[in-house]
Amino acid sequence: MSKVKPSSLPPDTLIGGYRIVRKLSAGGFGVVYLAVDSEGQQFAIKEYLPASLAARAPGELLPQVLPEKLSLYRLGLKSFFEEGRSLAQISHGSVVSVLNFFRENETVYMVMNYLEGGTLQDFIITARDLKKPKVFRESTIRSLFDEILRGLRIVHQHKMLHLDIKPANIFITDDNRAVMIDFGAAREVLSKEGNFIRPMYTPGFAAPEMYRRDSMMGPWTDIYAIGACMYASMQGYPPNDAPQRLEKDRLSLSLSRLRGIYSDNLIEVVEWCMSLDPLSRPQSVFALQKELSRESERHYTKLSVSERVRLQFDSVVADTKKTARKANPLGTRLK
Amino acid sequence: MKFSVFQLSRIGGRALNEDRMGYCYTRESGLFVLADGMGGHPEGEVAAQLALETVCALYQKEARPLVKKPAEFLAGALLAAHYRIVRYAAQKGMLDTPRTTLVAAVLQGSSATWIHCGDSRLYIVREGELLLRTRDHSFLEQEHAGFSQADMLNRNILFTCLGSPTKPIFDIAGPLALRQGDRVMLCSDGLWSSLSDAEIAWEIGGKSVSAAVPALVDNALRAGGPHSDNVTVLAMEWETPDVFAPTRSGEADTILESGFASTVQAGLSDKMPGSLDDELDEAMIERSIAEINAAIRRSATRKP
Repeated sequence: MSKVKPSSLPPDTLIGGYRIVRKLSAGGFGVVYLAVDSEGQQFAIKEYLPASLAARAPGELLPQVLPEKLSLYRLGLKSFFEEGRSLAQISHGSVVSVLNFFRENETVYMVMNYLEGGTLQDFIITARDLKKPKVFRESTIRSLFDEILRGLRIVHQHKMLHLDIKPANIFITDDNRAVMIDFGAAREVLSKEGNFIRPMYTPGFAAPEMYRRDSMMGPWTDIYAIGACMYASMQGYPPNDAPQRLEKDRLSLSLSRLRGIYSDNLIEVVEWCMSLDPLSRPQSVFALQKELSRESERHYTKLSVSERVRLQFDSVVADTKKTARKANPLGTRLK
Repeated sequence: MKFSVFQLSRIGGRALNEDRMGYCYTRESGLFVLADGMGGHPEGEVAAQLALETVCALYQKEARPLVKKPAEFLAGALLAAHYRIVRYAAQKGMLDTPRTTLVAAVLQGSSATWIHCGDSRLYIVREGELLLRTRDHSFLEQEHAGFSQADMLNRNILFTCLGSPTKPIFDIAGPLALRQGDRVMLCSDGLWSSLSDAEIAWEIGGKSVSAAVPALVDNALRAGGPHSDNVTVLAMEWETPDVFAPTRSGEADTILESGFASTVQAGLSDKMPGSLDDELDEAMIERSIAEINAAIRRSATRKP
């Protein structure tokens, strides 16, 4: 298959009663457009158009699927339906809502609320570039994740896991709501563990069990990713990925850098969520919410002189790795 | 909707079992199908299997959860199955086409509608007595019905079937209102050629279908002797039109989350590029979209 990406539909194309305004983004599964209905209301419409399986020439409406890719294309379509089905069942402010689902141009479209704002990833990068010791204020982090966890709890109640929580999939709207987007990896796994395709994962945010084909995933898998997102909101960059951590775990060390800046409690919560052993993490969103909302007095433990010296030495070593980190900004999906 | 169902097929004294049977259902409707692949032509078992799969695939597409017009659906499905067999033969460049009989019934609301082509039969037994049965498309049976073909050498010969170069002739009957305890039975000629209608009615009317069906099949095999034909019986007992729950069944007895369950395996799909595969996928896509939109509507009504 050619490496040319299928072209997106041009502005003013009409699909299912909506008029396309412009392309918003393009991912592995397809293209997201900003569109308006006949009353001028704005929507985000996701088009199923997997770049590796389908081609579309500029100006064309119908994607071309090579015959030998047809079964994979259909399989991907099932995942797309899975996402629609997952989202359709949930009605919560912190979970993007699906409003319509239709078929046209020999593919399918999912109509969602159009959100104005930016992803948590955008906010982290902007804040990080200010070069202040704190990326976000602690109270911001606590209230942001409190909101996300409320939504995630509903997702888990519907026997679904998100399985790709990362700053790029957390949207912060202009009216200050945090919304989880992109349930492309979500699967109904809590009820039927047997036949289940492992989703793609994002290094740094994916729990170790996502890499292992033999182990069980559960709410604790999403909770690991929540911990990693909190980590990124504090440090400004993602944590080491799970295989790296299994080899040599530097999490405690890098978190200790944040001591005195963030409360001991918050740092402990992150470390708890990101335990390599799934059983050592909070086992439910509720357990994590309880810990996170504990409004006791915040304790800050400053670093001792010897600890600071050790950290200084560590950052000299870490500096040499920074170029590699830049190449992979805050989590790019790998297959 | 509530019914008990039991199905059984035995090879008898033949080298091949060319009979196929199956049923599928949604919350409010059920489809029962039986096909008997014909000897004397190639690949009878393929013809029977194709007929079964085609009718079931179309039913899955139509039953949402009710089939709008059962009689029209059955006629359309029978012809689709016929053309599919003819297409299969053409694709394989066969000199002679595979052929099969077909009998199929749709049960929904509280009535039954059925279709048949050939000599596979449907019986309805009420209160232990034979209420009705289909008349075979054989010269013998049509003679009873008034036609005279006295010079025919073999009066058991069928004058129509699915898969032959001429378009099949079929009969549709119903809707017939069912009563509690009514038995509806589909069978291949392996059963009725060995047992009289009275024996069949007595057995099926007197026991639960899960006991009667194995007994009938055993009796027919015994009567048919060492060269007995394939014997296939699929029977259901109609119960109170209550919440759907098949109380007993051979294989499938739970409704899947998608609201559809079936005992029919689409086994031939792999060999048939661009035919049933596409039909099934189309049905899957339509169904998924309908389900998602239904879920969206449900979630929207829950919204404060």
